[in-house]
Amino acid sequence: MKIVATDIARSFGSTRALSGVSITLEPGRVHALVGENGAGKSTLLKILAGAERPDTGSIAIDGKPYAPRSLAEATALGVRLVFQEITINPSLSIAENVFSGQLARFRSRGLLNQAAMNRAAQALLDTLAVDVSVAQPLARLDLGQWKCIEVARALSTDPRAVLFDESTAFLNHREADQLLAAMRALGDRGLVVAFVSHHLAEIDAVADQLTILKDGRKVGDFAAGELDREGIQSRMVGRDLSRGLYPPRPEARISSGPMLRFNNVAADGLEPTSLSVAPGEILGIAGLKGAGGERILEVAAGVVRPRGGSITVGGAPLAAKTPAEGWAASIAYLPGERTTEGLIVDASVLDNLVMAKPPRRGPFFDRTKARAMAQAMIARLLIKASSEKARSGSLSGGNLQKVVLGKCLAIDPRVLLLNNPTRGVDVGARTEIYRSLREAAKEGLAILMVSEDLNELIGLSDRILVMREKRIAASIDDPAATSEDAIIRHMT
Amino acid sequence: MSSAKPTVTGRSETAQRPADARSRRDDIRRFFPILLLLVLVAVFSFASPRFLQFNNLMIVAQQAVVLLVAALGMTFVIIAGSIDLSVGAIVALAALVAAATSASLGIYAIVPACLVGAAAGLVNGVVVAKGKVPSFIVTLGAMVVYRGIVLFFTRGAPISIDDERFLDLYSGRTAGIPHSVLIAILLIAIAAVMLNLTVFGREVRAIGGGERIALLTGIRVDRVKIAIFVLSGLMCGMAGLLQGARAMAATAQLGEGLELDAIAAVVVGGTPLTGGVGSIQGTILGALIITILSNGMNIVGLDPYFQNIVKGLVLVLSVFVTIDRKKIGIIK
Repeated sequence: MKIVATDIARSFGSTRALSGVSITLEPGRVHALVGENGAGKSTLLKILAGAERPDTGSIAIDGKPYAPRSLAEATALGVRLVFQEITINPSLSIAENVFSGQLARFRSRGLLNQAAMNRAAQALLDTLAVDVSVAQPLARLDLGQWKCIEVARALSTDPRAVLFDESTAFLNHREADQLLAAMRALGDRGLVVAFVSHHLAEIDAVADQLTILKDGRKVGDFAAGELDREGIQSRMVGRDLSRGLYPPRPEARISSGPMLRFNNVAADGLEPTSLSVAPGEILGIAGLKGAGGERILEVAAGVVRPRGGSITVGGAPLAAKTPAEGWAASIAYLPGERTTEGLIVDASVLDNLVMAKPPRRGPFFDRTKARAMAQAMIARLLIKASSEKARSGSLSGGNLQKVVLGKCLAIDPRVLLLNNPTRGVDVGARTEIYRSLREAAKEGLAILMVSEDLNELIGLSDRILVMREKRIAASIDDPAATSEDAIIRHMT
Repeated sequence: MSSAKPTVTGRSETAQRPADARSRRDDIRRFFPILLLLVLVAVFSFASPRFLQFNNLMIVAQQAVVLLVAALGMTFVIIAGSIDLSVGAIVALAALVAAATSASLGIYAIVPACLVGAAAGLVNGVVVAKGKVPSFIVTLGAMVVYRGIVLFFTRGAPISIDDERFLDLYSGRTAGIPHSVLIAILLIAIAAVMLNLTVFGREVRAIGGGERIALLTGIRVDRVKIAIFVLSGLMCGMAGLLQGARAMAATAQLGEGLELDAIAAVVVGGTPLTGGVGSIQGTILGALIITILSNGMNIVGLDPYFQNIVKGLVLVLSVFVTIDRKKIGIIK
């Protein structure tokens, strides 16, 4: 199967998501679609998979016109989409998830033939070379394995093309590796494979071919290895990124006592831990999920109560028993899940920006002040929104994350706790977030940042703690002199 | 605004309708309750000349008051993503207290009536917020308990209200306008200010929009939730007082089914049960629609046994039109 799309255009209201994009997907090759949020990559993929219809342009499969009106139609023609979101139903079995929608295939005399279904599901999973047994309960598997089950579901209709829409967005690097290996396996079997990704490391790992999109237009098609990472990034962003993603570290540190200090703090999921963050310092925390990094943030924020030890903020003891007490002590917390923990997508940008500390006059909400605050924050963080009144859900991922960061910075915090501050954020927005964080640090803010992105930890942190099995395994005082591999060695 | 402000519109790669069709549909959604109200008024005044007479309109207003006042509190509860099924029972309880104390306290019977309403709401709120029990279950149980308390004390017999000053103040008229309507207008103003202009109102919306988000942003979710149920109880206290004054008695059956009418009024007014958004104006329209529907059907002489069928259909129809399916995603 060979898919050729010609001159595809699609608008949403006044926004042109795609204009005149042509792309050719060859069998047996893994094709990466690369671009910033809003570049049109997902829209293109959805058009190919029948989830959206193009305004103009045409698609042909092996020379025959192809114009699916729904995902189901595309499936019948051999094209499957794996979504960005997790679509596993945790209350079903693995095999039921693989064959959801086609359970009727395994009906015998009105009942479901579980054994046959399990065998068939296992066979599909085995072709992906993932270590999943259909007998396992879903809760024991990690998100990467869940995603592989979704791939098996896609394969259950025997497709000739599988398209992945940012499917690694919610996975950590170990989980993502499994999915990437599965993509490679599909490519090697001669299927058409295309995926959307922000992560250049993923493109390096599996892509044979890449197409860069920017603002709904195609920048170009490239073979793997034709461009280096900087070459890809500067074409995605449309400007030279040679100055680097990360702002320079300041020469001199602010010399004063620690702003946040943990003294043998223990909690559920955290062995007694001591650490301190100085004003102006960005302390990075590396570690696998469950290694204790996120728990440190949650204890400091008042989300999880410590079992022992003491915490001081600015020298004074603090025992935030609720997040409200944490915020009241000027500790701002940016949680790991943007849309379920960070901000309300149905609320306006303004509503979210001032949510932590609404300006008030007595019991009344001060609208004038709130508007000024929101506009100042939009300008400071370069948030791209039509106005402060825009519904947050209309913003792209990177801008949503800037809103969450703005909500934190709006209280003028002393301590900022960050859980994966740039997850699913494109390069352009990421540089702006890094710049804002460094500027805030220069003003005396103490920042504690947990991240799965090791490059980010190395590039931005002044110091890195590596967590392993609920305790600090290593402290790296000069991140500039370390490497991803060195950190991974401490982690595992 | 400085020229440095970025003006690029928020791009979204998710599916959206073309903007003009979308906004037209938004307009229909927004104006449907008022449209429905106007249609009802037109139909009933065409069918019966009595409908639009000042006297009947005042009767409608008076009939709407109890439902409306209870629905005001319910609006806060629903915007916060909860539900209060004990509304009708609290109204009965408050009416009972007002009736029992009106002989000795006169017009000041309003104080115990509101206190008992607030106390009943406080119990609901504490169990919901601190006990972490879903509000549907808590208030379902509370509905039975509060109604049980009323039955226990009255033994099913009505308690009459004879105090002249009490009746004058709470169910009398000035210049033809019922006092209860004036009181309701005052309560509407208070509710609208609380929802739209105070920090509390914003916190209520934030909790309904995403409780975990609100919690992690430092909003004292438990405290706000308790306050919401106390507010709902207080409104029921006022509703019970007004209902008792109008009927000149408190009965054990008073307010039965009121909770469902109150929920219907809020929802017909365009406030979704999913929380996060909603308005007092909508609730006013919703309460008027429900009351006018009943009143009008009586005036035109529609078979009373047929009336419930119409009411139920209008409820579903108006939600069918006003619900914003884009924002809800999955309809349960």
